[in-house]
Formats: sequence, C-alpha cells, structure tokens
Amino acid sequence: MTANGTPSSDRPIVLACDAIERSFGGLKALKGATLNVREGEIFGLVGPNGSGKTTLVNVVTGFYPPEAGTVTLFGENITHVAPHRIARKGVARTFQNLALFKGMSVLDNILIGRHTHMHPSALGTLFYWWWAQREELANRRIVEEVIEFMQLQDIRDEPVDVIPLGLQKRVELARALVAEPRFLILDEPMAGMNQEEKEYIARFILDAREERGVTILIIEHHMDVVTAICDRVVVLSYGEIISEGPPQEAIAHPKVVSAYLGERAAKRHQQQVAS
Amino acid sequence: MFYRRAGIRHTRYQDERQLFPLGFDRFLILSVLALLIAAPFLLDRFYLAGYLIPWLIWTSAALGLNLLMGGAGQIHLGYGAVMAIGAYTSVHLVRAGVPLEFAMIAGGLMSASIGIVFGAAALRVKGIYLAMATLAMQYIVDFVISQTPAISGGSLATIQVPPVSFLGISLRGDTETYYFALFVCFLIALFMLNVGRTSFGRALAAVREKDYAAQILGVSVFKYKLLAFWVSSFIGGVVGSVLAVCYLRAISPDQFHIELSIQLLAMVIVGGLGSVLGPFFGAALILFAPIVLNNLTGLVATSFGLAIPIDLRAHIPLIAYGALVIGFLLYEPLGLAKIYSNLRNYMLVWPFRHAQR
Repeated sequence: MTANGTPSSDRPIVLACDAIERSFGGLKALKGATLNVREGEIFGLVGPNGSGKTTLVNVVTGFYPPEAGTVTLFGENITHVAPHRIARKGVARTFQNLALFKGMSVLDNILIGRHTHMHPSALGTLFYWWWAQREELANRRIVEEVIEFMQLQDIRDEPVDVIPLGLQKRVELARALVAEPRFLILDEPMAGMNQEEKEYIARFILDAREERGVTILIIEHHMDVVTAICDRVVVLSYGEIISEGPPQEAIAHPKVVSAYLGERAAKRHQQQVAS
Repeated sequence: MFYRRAGIRHTRYQDERQLFPLGFDRFLILSVLALLIAAPFLLDRFYLAGYLIPWLIWTSAALGLNLLMGGAGQIHLGYGAVMAIGAYTSVHLVRAGVPLEFAMIAGGLMSASIGIVFGAAALRVKGIYLAMATLAMQYIVDFVISQTPAISGGSLATIQVPPVSFLGISLRGDTETYYFALFVCFLIALFMLNVGRTSFGRALAAVREKDYAAQILGVSVFKYKLLAFWVSSFIGGVVGSVLAVCYLRAISPDQFHIELSIQLLAMVIVGGLGSVLGPFFGAALILFAPIVLNNLTGLVATSFGLAIPIDLRAHIPLIAYGALVIGFLLYEPLGLAKIYSNLRNYMLVWPFRHAQR
C-alpha cells in the first residue's frame, strides 16, 4: 500500500531496469538485475557491501552505461542518455559520500538544484537587473520553501564545509528536492548518522513522498529504517537480485540471511522459523 | 567596526542579494569609484598614463582570466595569446576603417572562437595536462602571428594603431583614454560581480568543484567548460584590443609572449583566485612592486652610501619579487583578497571576536 491507499501493483511503473549487466575489468558488478519501481513507492535497495547497489544507481542515472539490458524511465528508454539529460527528465539523486560544492554557502548549494528550471546565460549575468533578477528571486522563493521544509533556516548563509555531517546530508537532500523531481534516488542518506538524525531524515523522506508526490528509490544499510519506511525492497548480492517483496518478508528470505550472515546462520534462522 | 552588520535587516530577497548588502561596503566602493573618476584632475599626466591606465587594463585581463581559473577551475597558460588575437584582429579592422566599437567586439569574437578550440582540450584533460595544452596555444598563436606577414607585417614589424574614437569621443588624449579603460574595466568587474549571484556563475562553480554532481543536477559539463573558455576568451580579446589602442598604440608580436601570460597568471594567483577584488590588488602588486623595489634599493644604496654594483641593483627587485610570489603561495594561497577579507571579517564583529564565523 502506498500513500493514498491504491495497491502499488496497479500504479504506473516509474523506473524499469531490465536485465542490466555491467562489469569493471574482470569483475561483474551487475549480472542481469531486473526491477520495477512504481509511482508513489518508497523502494528499498539493500545488500551487503560490494553487491552492486551504487553501480545500479549509477547505471540508472547515466554515469555507467550498461553493457546489456535497458533502463526505462516514465516509459522512455534512457539506456545511453547522458546524466545531465536524465536530470532534466525529473530525476534527482544524492550521493553516498556527499557531493556538495565546497566554498559555497548552503543557500547557493541548494540554488544550484534549480538549474534545470532556470535559463543561465552570460549576457543575463552582465545585465542582471533586467534579465536575470526576476528569475533568480522567483527561484529563491521556491528554495526558501524547501529550506523551511528541511528546517535549514539558521544555517543557510554558512559555508557548506563547516556544518556537521548530519546537516550536510540534509542540505544534499534539499538540493535534490528543489529540482522538483518526480523520481528521487537516495544513496545511503543515513550513513554515519546518529539515531536522532536518522529519525529526522526518515521523517523528511516520508514527508517528501506525502507532500510532493515523489517516487523514491533508497539504498540503505540501516534495516530498522528500511523495514519502517519502504513499501517494497529488493536485495542484491554479487550483482544478482536474490529476494524481492515487502521489506519484512524480503529480508527474512534464507538467501538474504546467508548473504549477510553466512550459511550456518541461515540454517539456524530457518530452524527458528520452523519451530 | 566600520562594517557593522548589526541592525541591518533585509526584508526582501532582492535587498539581501544585492552586490554589497552592507552599507559600509557600498560607501567604500563608491568612494573608490569617485576617486577613480576624479583621478585625471588630481593626478599628474605621467601617473595617469604610466600607472593608472596599465593598472586598469591589466586588471581587466586578470578578471577575464579569473573567470576561467577561479570561476570554472580551468587553468590557462596562454591568455597572452588570447589577447594577441583580439589585439591584431581589432587593429587590422580599425586600419581598414571599421569603427572601434565593432572592431573590439570582432576582436573578442575572434579570440573566443580560437580560444574555444584549445579550450576543448579541457573536456579530456585536467590540471597540469590542461596547462600544457594551453601553453601549446600560446606558442602556436605566437608562431602563426609572427610568421604570417599578413597579420604581423613580418616577425620584427610593428603595426601602428591609427587614431581612434569611441562613441564619438577621440581617444587621443590621456584623459579620454583613461576614462575609456575605466569604463571597460568597470563593465568587466560588474559582470564578474554578478557571476557570483546568478545561475550561470553557480553552474561554473559546480563544474569546478564536482563535475559528476553538477551533471546529475542537469548542468552539462561539456557545455559549461566550453562556455567558460568562450566567455573568458571573449573578455581577453576585448581587453587585448583595448591594450593595443589605449596603451601600446603600436603592436608587435613580442608584446604578447609567454611573459604576459605568466604575468596575468601571477596577478590572478597573488590577487586571489575566484575573487573580484583580487585582480585589482594582484595587478597593482605585480605591475608596481618591481618599480617600488627598484626605487627602494636605490634609496637604501644612496642613504647608506653602499656601492651596489649596477647589475646587482637591477636584479634585487626581481629576486624580491620572486620571493613575494613564493611567499604568497606558501602563506596565503587565496591571495591579497583573502587578507582583505580576513581583515573585514575581523572588523565586522570587533570587539566581539567570539562572534566571528
């Protein structure tokens, strides 16, 4: 079930990955990964380290063209489209290791997120008062709405490199949200956060779906968060999808338990379930 | 203390986003501008033509280079060649009877279209390799200009610039020339100030900081790297033509050699990468430090009765000047503009230092 009660299986497909393959030298990072993300879902992508989660996201966002398979976004084939064109189709993402622009203020970092909605030009820069000011201020208003939504008001003028990690992650999420994406990809938004910061981000993710109608694909290692906020989950291991479904069931699958904890733990787990 | 921020409450985004949100900054900049406008009446002709005009022209060029180096993070070692293309194009056009206004723009366009070809190297290589590619531009352009009689009139030839006028004002006198250089410098500085607050400038900064993050935000790295080279080369070409008609008045290929490129690079680095104020400071230091140091050694030599050999005396300023540049790179890599900004930040909250950010 998603936001407004329609069963998710009836909703249109936002992202379809079909038999994606990608290797780096001799290492096969993805071996025919297939998944469908439906509109309005919070879709979890989990798996042990090195299982190909970030590679899959990089394939979807156009950074790594796949060697085989197709990526379809909103019914359109985007398999070999450049990242900046994919961004214009309504996709935004955050990065695992933060990709904020150092040396700029929090406000300017978030304003860059509006790039696809603005018309930058060198002449407009020279004749700012006549050609650019109106657009800048209109977009500033939208950015301020997101700043308020993400509760970043006190730090908007701070240089982005001096604020704590938890806030930096929040700024990056704000930068992705101001682009008004229809599909948002979050790569470990809670890595390195404490419990309180995690709860904040989880709340922002749920609110982003409720208030902005964004479909979300989230990579996360914190299983408590994944089971709490995701509608469906896919588990990757060594580039293959080993389990899929509602979060509690998907992560209880024997293959998943053995991928994370080893064969013996998987057997013990099955005995416990049986008894 | 003068810069007092307390009590300034902007209630519109427009006011907060103005170029100088603090009243004292506006006062300071207007005072400097007033002094510059009054300069021809206050200063001797010699100072005007010998100091202020070159300072304004070199500052304009350094501002254009700073858009590329500080704004978009692409190094350029051939900016002198970019200026040469603009200078030769506009001088030939002026000699053919084209008005200066159009000749300048044509010079800029020519520089931009040749500059972008070498800038295309930036799409494949970064850092030191891009430095080599742009250095190659310097030598190729130098060679083509000096070896093509149609352009330079022969490798040792000098081309005279005929008397020109801008918007109906003849640029023969020093005062008119000075105002013309001031006007060009003002426009370029205004453009650079606005770069700091428009989507264009933010896209360049995104490409400079993290190109992959820029891509996923919809910024085409391909387009903005080339655009940075185009705009910066256009400014370089226009300034090159100003240099030719205002200051040199007769051009020869050796005026645009690698020395000019290195000089501009030093101005940007010593002044402050990515800052608008920096090139003003940097140009002043690089142009005038050798002169001041030379006078200083002369003064020391005579007052202490030291018999400094004449060749040593000629080299002391160069040694000191080299040490100065190395000192800056070591102790204040963000240049003179950063020193000013530190001072300003200190004054903003003085005497409440704990409030400093």
